Amino acid sequence: MAPEISNASMFLLIFFVLIPISLSYIYALGLSRSIAWSSLRGVVQLVLIGYLLTYLFSLPPVIGISIMLMVMVTVATFHASKKGSGFPYVRSIIFVVIAGVELLVLAMWLGFDMIEFAPDQVIPMSGMVIGNSMVAIGLALERMKHEFNEGKDRIIAALSLGASPKQASQLLIRKIVKAAMIPNVDGLKTIGLVQLPGMMTGLILGGVPPVEAIRYQIVISLSIFTSVSLSAMFITVIFYRFYFNDRWQLVKRKETQES
Amino acid sequence: MVDLIDVQAVSSERLTNIHLSIEEGTIVNLIGPSGGGKSSLLMLLNRLEDPLEGEILYKGEPITNIELGKLRRMIGLVQQTAALFEGTVEDNLKYGPSLTGAWGSAMGRDLLDQVSLPQTYLQKYVDELSGGEKQRVAFARALANKPRILLLDEVTSALDVRNVECIEQRLYELIESKKVEGMFMVTHDISQAKRMGSHTVFMSEGKIVEQGETKEILTHPETTRLKQFLKE
Ligand SMILES: Nc1ncnc2c1ncn2[C@@H]1O[C@H](COP(=O)(O)OP(=O)(O)OP(=O)(O)O)[C@@H](O)[C@H]1O
Ligand SMILES: [Mg+2]
Repeated sequence: MAPEISNASMFLLIFFVLIPISLSYIYALGLSRSIAWSSLRGVVQLVLIGYLLTYLFSLPPVIGISIMLMVMVTVATFHASKKGSGFPYVRSIIFVVIAGVELLVLAMWLGFDMIEFAPDQVIPMSGMVIGNSMVAIGLALERMKHEFNEGKDRIIAALSLGASPKQASQLLIRKIVKAAMIPNVDGLKTIGLVQLPGMMTGLILGGVPPVEAIRYQIVISLSIFTSVSLSAMFITVIFYRFYFNDRWQLVKRKETQES
Repeated sequence: MVDLIDVQAVSSERLTNIHLSIEEGTIVNLIGPSGGGKSSLLMLLNRLEDPLEGEILYKGEPITNIELGKLRRMIGLVQQTAALFEGTVEDNLKYGPSLTGAWGSAMGRDLLDQVSLPQTYLQKYVDELSGGEKQRVAFARALANKPRILLLDEVTSALDVRNVECIEQRLYELIESKKVEGMFMVTHDISQAKRMGSHTVFMSEGKIVEQGETKEILTHPETTRLKQFLKE
């Protein structure tokens, strides 16, 4: 059975935070304030989410799930958009991509009867998909700026040989998508060997037998993998166009250059 | 007779009021200080950029009338940096031809021959090449499209004397055999300018300061700026 963590022991966690803070102080890392601040912020966020989820779980599934998905996709959109500052319509495009990928994955889960349409299943699973899409999109956008700066001469060479923007960008698109997927590919290789994935850990702590827990973990890991590659792919093939005009010329975008 | 290329009162972000023409069968040198606008001019000729004002004609027809892919294959540019694609030498050489049609290794071997690189280089990775070898591969890559006009941006700057001779020889042959109708050749090497182009254009600060017969303007420059430039 899941162990209960008492309020008293929660309070004692403060000692856990004091350790990195004192280390930062001793070695003059200058991180004390940000460790304290992010710990506090994290705790407050989680407490609020705890109550919010309790409330949402009590609502009819359709309403609770819709509200929470909306919130998650919106927050993820704003976060990922920061990396794409300078591109036109960034927020709208990213919102549609994240929402689209999430809906597709959700449809697969429900269609194949992997999970039930219940808030306590859909919301945590979706959170992982949305969060990973968000990170992948951020990586793709960063990498795109980098590649288009570094590879400018090669793009010009390709255009000069008669390539269309689409053909000229092939050289980079592969690298961009790959860069966005690498963390997940690497993660999958050592999954369970180095780190027990969060979801599986949670289920095991909650008293689910390991063999049962890995089923969920496999579903979620592969779903994340799918959504990460789809997000990175969509974002890349949508955004590379903004580097060109319809006369097959590279347009200068100061704002989309690497900072 | 109508000019091969006629640049009429062209201005762009970095160039002002460029008037220039090239006759069929000739080479035009572009010389001038760094930042003078030579590369910028080449980019207008294959429409990597478009003029804000003025017009560029190919045999009397505005180049904007020619389909873009066709224009860029017809007017080949060799950039100042080799800008090779990742992969092998063959990957680079076949890039242009395979956009529109077929490619065979025989073509690759012939191209390497033209820039006097050994045929075994076809499978070599580009990051294993020396600076001068990269430059020659970039030149061969442009030739693979069988361009009618060549825009050459300092294509021999990293080569030794023997290889400079070889490339220059190749350029002469291309003009003489009429495979190439005309060339614009950016160079920092005044003696090369004297050997190559019948016509020379001196550019500085985005403008053409002086142009004329190569023999004439390089031996008897009129403007103080060109005199100064030739002295350096
Ligand atoms: N991509 C670019 N964006 C903005 N300005 C540029 C760009 N490329 C060149 N310039 C500027 O335009 C001017 C002309 O540059 P250009 O490259 O045409 O000179 P150049 O004569 O080819 O010089 P070099 O002999 O050094 O190659 C320079 O002042 C340069 O700083
Ligand atoms: Mg230049």
